[in-house]
Amino acid sequence: MIKVKNAFKTFRTHDRREVKALVDFSVHIKKGEVVVFIGPSGSGKSTFLRCLNRLEEIDSGQIFINDVDIYGKKVNINKVREEIGMVFQLFNLFPHKTVMENVILAQQIVRKRRRSEAIEIAKDLLHKVNILEKESNYPSQLSGGQQQRVAIARALAMHPKIMMFDEATSALDPEMIGEVLDVMKKLAKEGMTMVVVTHEMGFAREVSDRVVFMDSGQIIEEGTAEHFFTNPIHDRTKLFLSQIL
Amino acid sequence: MTFNKRSLITLAVLAILVTAAYYFLIRRGITYIWHWEKVPEMLFYIGSKSADDPVVRLRMGVLMMGFVLTLKISVLATFFGIIIGTVVGIARLSKEPVTRGLSLAYVELIRNTPLLVQIFMIYFFVGSILRLSAFVAGTAGLSIFAGAYVGEIVRSGIQSIHKGQMEAARSLGMSYAQAMRYVILPQAFKRIIPPLAGQFISLIKDSSLVSVIALADLTFQGQQAVARSYYTFEIWFTVAFLYLIMTFSLSMATQFVERRLSISD
Repeated sequence: MIKVKNAFKTFRTHDRREVKALVDFSVHIKKGEVVVFIGPSGSGKSTFLRCLNRLEEIDSGQIFINDVDIYGKKVNINKVREEIGMVFQLFNLFPHKTVMENVILAQQIVRKRRRSEAIEIAKDLLHKVNILEKESNYPSQLSGGQQQRVAIARALAMHPKIMMFDEATSALDPEMIGEVLDVMKKLAKEGMTMVVVTHEMGFAREVSDRVVFMDSGQIIEEGTAEHFFTNPIHDRTKLFLSQIL
Repeated sequence: MTFNKRSLITLAVLAILVTAAYYFLIRRGITYIWHWEKVPEMLFYIGSKSADDPVVRLRMGVLMMGFVLTLKISVLATFFGIIIGTVVGIARLSKEPVTRGLSLAYVELIRNTPLLVQIFMIYFFVGSILRLSAFVAGTAGLSIFAGAYVGEIVRSGIQSIHKGQMEAARSLGMSYAQAMRYVILPQAFKRIIPPLAGQFISLIKDSSLVSVIALADLTFQGQQAVARSYYTFEIWFTVAFLYLIMTFSLSMATQFVERRLSISD
């Protein structure tokens, strides 16, 4: 479902230092797979995610989503993005719109659904993420965990084939992490293809098919969550795990 | 509200200033016989248009006619100013260098030359080529002028919106234009209401400059009325008050809109 071939990406920071975010990076994610990317900050895992829907552009290499080369000349990137839901660290709900409006906006203008149909889909999803009672509230009236659940519902409302989570629980107070992870676990168990950047090893252990450890824009080690808990091989992996566990 | 020592001092200073102003400007300076009773007929009067017109009814006096024209020009220039400004504000942030360069050139050109000169150029130069009336030329001049300032305000408004908003909108499959229209601009406009209000209040006042191309706005009518009647003070005070009515109403209206929009904060 997702194929990344030899991707390179280099950033230039404000003080003109070069940061290598992706170095000859290749990965293959199958339909229905839940893959967790871990690694120290600056290791390129968020960049990798953002290159998958072209919020960032790779410098060279190829990325295929459902066998479509998303960097191809004739590709309509908006069509590609409709199929890839993304959940951000800072939620990024639209603050001038209510919860319901947040979830139906893109359905109406991108998917061209009728308002009544969009609302029906939204209600289902808001119920699923357990926040339907807040449908007419504005984001500023919600807690972080509630906002993030709305953001997940908003992404799901497009009926994407892939869901990406970019440190979706990192900005949350500890007591709210669980409610968001529960929604993500539910989604994983329903067979959604998920690409997850997170430090939540508990989540990885419970639902992931594969864990990929990245550092300096490269894959250092990959395997099941169990593998990382019991016998990580590389020193960098061990060091990182000792810091987060 | 509590009055304390500081408010008393402020009041005393004010009283001294007013007394001094009265003494120097009115008592010593001039002798002037006020004719406020002549002002109402410059606003409204009951009568016929001319000697051979038999219809007698309530008609607008010269100052009220000027007021209406100023209001018309200001409303039109505000409307076109917002449209031009929005386009320019977005163009200023374009990735495409020609669009960006042209919009920057427009803003700098307009902001760095006097409005009076612009009005002359549009009326006498562009106007004579395209055969524009004074009304069209004046309104166009003010719209183009306001557009440059509004453009900068809109640009700063767009830039003040967190970039995660654009990313979230785009990640949902919206095009750049859709994201602007439904996500970024509504938030940006809410944020720039105060500077926009300031800009349009200035625009109402700047509209007095169109009187130089013989457009019969409030200032022009005031000048004419003074020249005919010599009721200089009464007329200019009235003109100022009429401008104040327009600007103050706008000020109140924007505060109302601001309060209405603050429900999502």
